[in-house]
Amino acid sequence: MGKVEEKTGQIIDLASKLRWQVGDDFHDKLTESIYADAAVISSRVESTRDRKANYTFDRALDRILTSRTFGFPIMILILSVILWITIQGANYPSGMLSVLLLETIYPFLKQVSASVGLIWWIDGFLLDGVYLALAWVIAVMLPPMAIFFPLFTLLEDFGYLPRVAFNLDTLFKRSGAHGKQALTMTMGWGCNAAGVVSTRIIDSPRERLIAIITNNFSLCNGRWPTQILIATIFIGALVPNGFTGLTASASVIGIAILGVFFTFLSSWLLSKTLLKGEVSSFTLELPPYRPPRFWKTIYTSIIDRTLIVLWRAMVFAAPAGAVIWLVSNVDIGGDSIADHAIFYLNDFGLLVGLNGVILLAYIVAIPANEIVIPTILMLTVANLNMIGVGAGEGVMFELDSSMETGAILKAGGWTLLTGINLMLFSLLHNPCSTTLYTIFMETKSARWTAVSAVLPLIFGFVVTFLVAQIWRIIAGI
Amino acid sequence: MINQVTNPCDDCAIYNAAQLKKLGVDVENADYVVTLAGNPNTGKSTVFNALTGLRQHTGNWPGKTVTRAEGGFSYNDKRFKLIDLPGTYSLLSTSQDEEVARNFILFGQPDVTVIVVDASRLERNLNLVLQVLEITGKAVLCLNLMDEAKRHGIEIDDRTLSKDLGIPVVPTSARSFKGINELIDTIHKVATNEVLCKPHRIKNLSDSVNMAVDELSKKISNTYPNLPNSRWIAMRLLDGDQRVLQALQNNEFMIT
Amino acid sequence: MAPDPIISLVYFVVIVLAIILIWRLQKSTRFLQTSQQIRKTLVEDILKQLYHVEYSGRSASLNAMAGALKLSIKKLLRLIEFMTDRNLMRFDQNTLQLTDSGRDYALKIIRVHRLYEKYLSEKTGFDKSEWHDRAELKEHTLTADQTDELYQVLGNPRFDPHGDPIPTASGEILQPKWQPLSSLKENITARIVHIEDEPDVIYRQIIDKKLHIGSQVKMVAADENHIRFYSEGNEYEFSPIVASNVSVEELTEKESFEENMVRLSALAPGERARVLGISSECRGMNRRRLLDLGFTNGSEIEAEFDSPMKEPKAYTIRNTLIALRGDQADLILIKKVL
Repeated sequence: MGKVEEKTGQIIDLASKLRWQVGDDFHDKLTESIYADAAVISSRVESTRDRKANYTFDRALDRILTSRTFGFPIMILILSVILWITIQGANYPSGMLSVLLLETIYPFLKQVSASVGLIWWIDGFLLDGVYLALAWVIAVMLPPMAIFFPLFTLLEDFGYLPRVAFNLDTLFKRSGAHGKQALTMTMGWGCNAAGVVSTRIIDSPRERLIAIITNNFSLCNGRWPTQILIATIFIGALVPNGFTGLTASASVIGIAILGVFFTFLSSWLLSKTLLKGEVSSFTLELPPYRPPRFWKTIYTSIIDRTLIVLWRAMVFAAPAGAVIWLVSNVDIGGDSIADHAIFYLNDFGLLVGLNGVILLAYIVAIPANEIVIPTILMLTVANLNMIGVGAGEGVMFELDSSMETGAILKAGGWTLLTGINLMLFSLLHNPCSTTLYTIFMETKSARWTAVSAVLPLIFGFVVTFLVAQIWRIIAGI
Repeated sequence: MINQVTNPCDDCAIYNAAQLKKLGVDVENADYVVTLAGNPNTGKSTVFNALTGLRQHTGNWPGKTVTRAEGGFSYNDKRFKLIDLPGTYSLLSTSQDEEVARNFILFGQPDVTVIVVDASRLERNLNLVLQVLEITGKAVLCLNLMDEAKRHGIEIDDRTLSKDLGIPVVPTSARSFKGINELIDTIHKVATNEVLCKPHRIKNLSDSVNMAVDELSKKISNTYPNLPNSRWIAMRLLDGDQRVLQALQNNEFMIT
Repeated sequence: MAPDPIISLVYFVVIVLAIILIWRLQKSTRFLQTSQQIRKTLVEDILKQLYHVEYSGRSASLNAMAGALKLSIKKLLRLIEFMTDRNLMRFDQNTLQLTDSGRDYALKIIRVHRLYEKYLSEKTGFDKSEWHDRAELKEHTLTADQTDELYQVLGNPRFDPHGDPIPTASGEILQPKWQPLSSLKENITARIVHIEDEPDVIYRQIIDKKLHIGSQVKMVAADENHIRFYSEGNEYEFSPIVASNVSVEELTEKESFEENMVRLSALAPGERARVLGISSECRGMNRRRLLDLGFTNGSEIEAEFDSPMKEPKAYTIRNTLIALRGDQADLILIKKVL
């Protein structure tokens, strides 16, 4: 063995000596000679009929899709249509799923458990806790993702998405990021976990980390329903009846655009501070347009993206359901853990224009943004000891009309400020645990995962705090 | 030189039924390990799916498959394990994708490496092909997207290409499953040494570089006589590749 | 119920200011350093400064040294005493001189500085205006082993990214034959081999003009007030002071001046060109990427179209459409094909 090591040492020494002789440009020379060989071979085997006709269609399409006049309008149109189809189209299947899972299967399971005489806390833990959380996540999450991802994948396979990166690159360059982040950001509107996975397309380490950390500022499918509900209750109520829907939609879009603003802001901050020294490079291939195979794409994108993400979400949501049930049902000194926690969190909550219930809901519902509203409702009712509303201690619920929901929330002390700040906080808080797990898997770094969790929280508290103080000064309270 | 790939009959019903079985992700106890390399946007994942019957998503991006995908098929009673490497333009840079691809071809020592290229952009794709051929001789060139090349008026003389590269060349259009059976048959032949390759080695090196590479590679093959790619390792050492240097220090090349 | 908003805001501002203060403090170099470390840094700075002065053939006076290092004479004298005791320098007739062991020490520091700059340029994403300051900090802390490892990893480099030679471990240093750009005669062609990174103000002026190391230049006109020269398709006008911080080497007979060499950024949509090479300012991963994509000598390239916001631009090279940003296109040298 010693002999081999000696010889290995000689090889390394020789390599080091020769490297000095050859100089710095070995890589250049090698690449040049490989391409020279490639050119010789391809000239021997390749023959082209009518060279000009090559890619004329592609170029014509490129000139339209990246033109100064039409480039941006086409892009905005396509993206809004996709989002609109997703939000509108998901309502119907979501409703069906919740009728099935919450109104049919859930009572049935309760009945079965009652008839076999299951102990009350096992029944509560499993059905009211775990099952309800899972059912909510599936009903709210599955339909929009099953619509959004296939549509997105079709655009990707056609070759349009690289052109979006091309169009928007200047904006991202100014904040120190990569144009392809436009795609991962858009993907984040579907689901942040999927958005984080999609940052693999960015091959430069620094820009990829920026895209991962800032993906959370894309308002994901799990948060759209919260935004729409709260906007309808609190902001829609400010205007005459006919304009409620329009005003609510406009304010939700406002929040989403604010998210884009924060994406740029935090990208810029990161590239000036934490990520300053990371290697950065830019290359973007614009592949030829290829007609996507419709059914195959739909099939693969559902399997590949939707179901994987859904599975991850369910794995995290199940224990969350259990925790939610437990904090409401385990009593210490006569009050439930939830009541204690709400009491302690309330002062800080009020300082930033929220309240203890909201903060607790965001702590226990880290696994999925979908269950934040049901958790808030349950905690509010339980905390106020409202009689005749809700479904019992630790049982999450939603109400059919936003009016009733609004009534409960207002009874819980909510004002217009609480509503607005909840919308802001829903945008600016730590990513859900599915996304955090995905970030850890992608970066393999606890540090960057922590940064991704803490950065949005800081933004969230600073923004809600400032809004609350300025609001109170103006309102003169 | 090498045996020209005989064209097995495409339409035989027996062909698929008797010899070919797609194994999906069931890749235990494989007889041969086959790896799939290629540039981004060459339909590499489509080829992978066509070979294994899996449905991995194909995307128009480099780096789609950072973690490598695995699948398998069995042919002539032999089980093949197929590993899809990330799409890369080269194996010389130091990006994460290229590390994964390079390390697998070099240290994973696959029985066959299938290099998928875009027939309409051959010259660019040959950059990667020539690099792979420096590392491993047991390779098959899958000339994919033949339909697209035809649409753009490009014709490829695959026999000459096969002669120049010293490895079998199989034209395919994986989207419509054209040529996949020939590809499988060729992989089998290369794996079982029925077809012997004589891979092209990079010429056109400038004199000073060539001398340095020769000197170092002689020294390496003296120490490791069984190493098939001493020239490539010499090139990597001259380029300051830390991973290869480390492998040398840890005696990782001794196993061959 | 809610706390007074104005008082809350005051607290908030105080906390934010405190955080900023702590951050600033941490960034300052002297924070949490022992007096020994501070002295080591100063000693090494003096040695380095002395070496540079001797190298340029001048002699160092006490006052000039105190001025250059922003030290009081009193403090400097104490340090000089410390250094003469350790046989690093001599001090007679008001001039400071390095001893042999002092010169060796100085070369070691310079070696670390230049190697670290090379490292920053090849392996990190820091802007070139930051290399110098970062290396100034690092040169005092890197051990000999770490330096040797860096040297290996970087592939035994001979020059730092500014074009300065890197001393070897045994203290040998190449003596390049440079001349300042300002001394170049009219119509003489040369290559930029070195851009001095000190003083910072002048260095920034040069890099703002996007002048690159390795570029060919041709002198157009030089007088006492203006130096006008041509490089890579652009004409530059520098004051003699700025131009004297750029060093050049006249082209040898083997090298020919590429009269029509321009940067890829100058190629308008629809125009075609032949790639001549990549500027030596393009380093590390960026350089490898561009090479792998086929931006090699002799490749044909065509500018296709711009993004709606002008940048990036799409080019066809070897049958593939590749988008590049403006600063990358500046680093690719071409010759237009008409």
